[in-house]
Amino acid sequence: MAANGADSNPPKPVSMSDTLHENDLSILGQEVPLGRVDRELKKLWDTDDAKTRASLMNFAIYSEKAEDLARNNRLLEQITSTHACRALLILTLPGGDPPRARAWINALCRPYQGKEVVCSEQLSFVLEGGNAAQVQNTVFAHLDSDLPLAVWWQGDLTSNFEERFYSEINRLFIDSSAWKDPATAFAKLETAYGAPTSDFEVHDLSWTRSHYIRSALAGCFQSTLALSRLPDVERIEITHAPGQRTSALLVAAWIAERLAYALIDAESGVRFAKPTGETVTLDLHEGPSGYCIQRLALVGPGMKTEVKRDPSCSFVRVCAHCGEHESSEMLPADAETESELISGQLSRAHGTSLYIEMVPLLREMLAKL
Amino acid sequence: MIGTQPASPDGPEVAVHPDMATLPLAVAVRSTQPTILLKPDPMPELENPFQDTLIQHHRAEPCTLVIFGATGDLTHRKLIPALYNIAVGGDLPPQFKVVGFARRDKSDDVFREELRVANAKHSRQGHSEELWESFSKSIHYHRSEFEDTEGYQALGKLLDDFDEERGTVANRLFYLASAPEYFDQIMQQIRAAGLNEGVGGRWSRVVCEKPFGKDLKTARRLNQVVNETFDEKDTYRIDHYLGKETAQNIMVLRFANSLFEPNWNSRYIDHVQITCAENLGMEGGRGGYYDTAGALRDMVQNHLFQLLTLVAMEPPTDLSADSVRDEKVKVIRALRPLIGPEAVGKNVIRAQYTPGSVDGVNRVGYRQEDRVNPESKTECYVALRLYIDTWRWQGVPFYIRVGKQLPKKATEISIHFKKPPQVPFATSKMIADSENTLILRIQPDEGISLRILSKQPGQALFVQPVKMDFHYSNSFGKASPEAYERLLLDAMAGDATLFARRDEVENAWRFIDELEKAWHESSTPPPMCEYPAGSWGPKEADELLQADGREWRRL
Repeated sequence: MAANGADSNPPKPVSMSDTLHENDLSILGQEVPLGRVDRELKKLWDTDDAKTRASLMNFAIYSEKAEDLARNNRLLEQITSTHACRALLILTLPGGDPPRARAWINALCRPYQGKEVVCSEQLSFVLEGGNAAQVQNTVFAHLDSDLPLAVWWQGDLTSNFEERFYSEINRLFIDSSAWKDPATAFAKLETAYGAPTSDFEVHDLSWTRSHYIRSALAGCFQSTLALSRLPDVERIEITHAPGQRTSALLVAAWIAERLAYALIDAESGVRFAKPTGETVTLDLHEGPSGYCIQRLALVGPGMKTEVKRDPSCSFVRVCAHCGEHESSEMLPADAETESELISGQLSRAHGTSLYIEMVPLLREMLAKL
Repeated sequence: MIGTQPASPDGPEVAVHPDMATLPLAVAVRSTQPTILLKPDPMPELENPFQDTLIQHHRAEPCTLVIFGATGDLTHRKLIPALYNIAVGGDLPPQFKVVGFARRDKSDDVFREELRVANAKHSRQGHSEELWESFSKSIHYHRSEFEDTEGYQALGKLLDDFDEERGTVANRLFYLASAPEYFDQIMQQIRAAGLNEGVGGRWSRVVCEKPFGKDLKTARRLNQVVNETFDEKDTYRIDHYLGKETAQNIMVLRFANSLFEPNWNSRYIDHVQITCAENLGMEGGRGGYYDTAGALRDMVQNHLFQLLTLVAMEPPTDLSADSVRDEKVKVIRALRPLIGPEAVGKNVIRAQYTPGSVDGVNRVGYRQEDRVNPESKTECYVALRLYIDTWRWQGVPFYIRVGKQLPKKATEISIHFKKPPQVPFATSKMIADSENTLILRIQPDEGISLRILSKQPGQALFVQPVKMDFHYSNSFGKASPEAYERLLLDAMAGDATLFARRDEVENAWRFIDELEKAWHESSTPPPMCEYPAGSWGPKEADELLQADGREWRRL
């Protein structure tokens, strides 16, 4: 829903970048002067009694890519359809001089019980010459007070990902598969996470994408029989989609970390040493495009536990072979779209300790590859 | 540090993970010789190292659920759809099986097809044929009379076959969805067949559906029968009200918010009201059962007393099942007894509806309902004034009302705070009937409201009540799970917090029995009042509160 018109005079439009034009910006709703954002928001709600404003948190998408503006606008609409929040769309375009900023307001509404309309409010900021200070001063001044701030940082962790920014965040969403230099970015993430002023939980979509695959594998070892064969594993096999290698490495790091495997030097590829000293190889295969993790298997003599997702199937199939015993079942599969992944995380209890525990091993693996 | 130790004096050497070094070794792990599976005898055993990934309910171990009375409505409308929806979420235990135990002759395929149709109709999250095909393979049918010893022996054999197929011994959960008169036989036969004992260190549990007795005597008898077969810790008495999200939220509201608990006592609370209104009567042939029970037995003894205990209990020392239930049972024990027709008549109003209309539709009176005795003495409305004799609640009345054919469907709890002792800017008249009220909406439109006083805009100082409203569905986009989903998972995971314990049930019956006795065994019983269908109950119920200078909250 577009916001109703306001009687204020928006600033004179300016071209924000080579790839962004005024038509692109019209999707953001009603442009308002930066100094009148709160007043215009209030007007927005005053005009329609039939709508209920709801908010559980501040949820921001941060991007430095102008071409992603329309996509991110859609993503916010999808996420707010299940999570009422003050939605913030932040596009920073570093490099402009002098810095300038523009703001838009909008209401994202969904029907409720076929009659009432429940709305989240969206604020969009385009920050030309945007730096961390500008984000802090301009954007963070318009948060819904007393509610937590979740930020989805898209792309590489640039120089704007610095203390003044992350110290404000309660939950940070990233996608490490999208990083051009994962080794450096993970180091930066670890530093930020451990900083005395930071207090955020981190959710990596590359990790989230394998949630149900991992749960399916973990569930197999609730069986005593399968558990008794776990020490027999000799090979970890993972098939991933193109561009999702980091997701696959995260799964491998998780298995290795949980089984107390140590990374060992190998001429090629990744190998682990079990606590008993035996080696375990990691076979990574890039499959066709499609689901992020397409197959995960732990293989050893007389045992194989495999979680597989076939193309166009909404579920994963889990097959466990232990000696003569075989079992098979279908379990839910991971969400595919980014908005579903984020919504899923927002619905779950917080907690990122497991992920953070794996990062050192993952960094070691990245250094060897 | 990696250590090695023999699994047995003559056995193969076993590798020990450093994290596992302190755990008893009960299963074989890797050795240079072929791996040997040792039966898990007894527990405890090695932990799944991937368990941290699993949320609480994923942690359930392989399990077979046996439903007694599996051809009934509960299985089709609630239990199977609940299990299917648990499967949608991926929370079913691995290698899960469900066995329907009933008297009618039918094959697995016929049973599955009946359940498929029912699931498509009743499943909360829709029905996927793809998932159903996989899920339904876990469903089996076992035909037997409830009193047939051989039927139970065959059931035992079937469960053993499943374990053989799995290659591991599974836990066993027995669900009594049959009519209560069969509980006795079923329990005896389960015991005779040795199914009440978990095999190989696994557990065996029972879930009992309500009604759990119709008075203290029958409840004790049932408890005795069940506890002769299963330990109390393995007995799960289901009260689906406790599975509701909003009922669980009462504890969160009280004990996770420091705002309320300091005021949650007789110093600040004037009274509490609990209303459970139904806008239906005896549709669908329910009059037959209802006329033998009545509102007091059907709703107050279980559901409403459970809500009452959650509102009135002291903070538990921890969230273990027994800590929570210890506190709940103290509330029931502290209920001031109402003994004799005079005390009952003064504090409890019973009534039946007469012809009227609800939502513009004409309704017959209770005694004219299908399968109801035309001279019935069963109440379909009851209002109670209760006192809880503890320091916290001394002098605070708890008003409870429940009834059929009321104007709307609503279950709500309202906490009515006392008026401020002195208001410097208004007369007491201005703030009459406008005390702070905290409303917990259990169903429908689940949420919480708080009524506070605010100054009206303007030159004059007028005070007006305003309502702050929280709706679950506005704030949380996703739907809450059905109560049975939560409760079935809890029973499989061994969490009895949301199930009634024996002493809770028996103490509740002890209180209720006195009311029934005054109504049905006294020579001077309190009258059966009347109210037109579609009204908010009999005038005598209004007078019950008016006598205390209060009135029922407007819903």
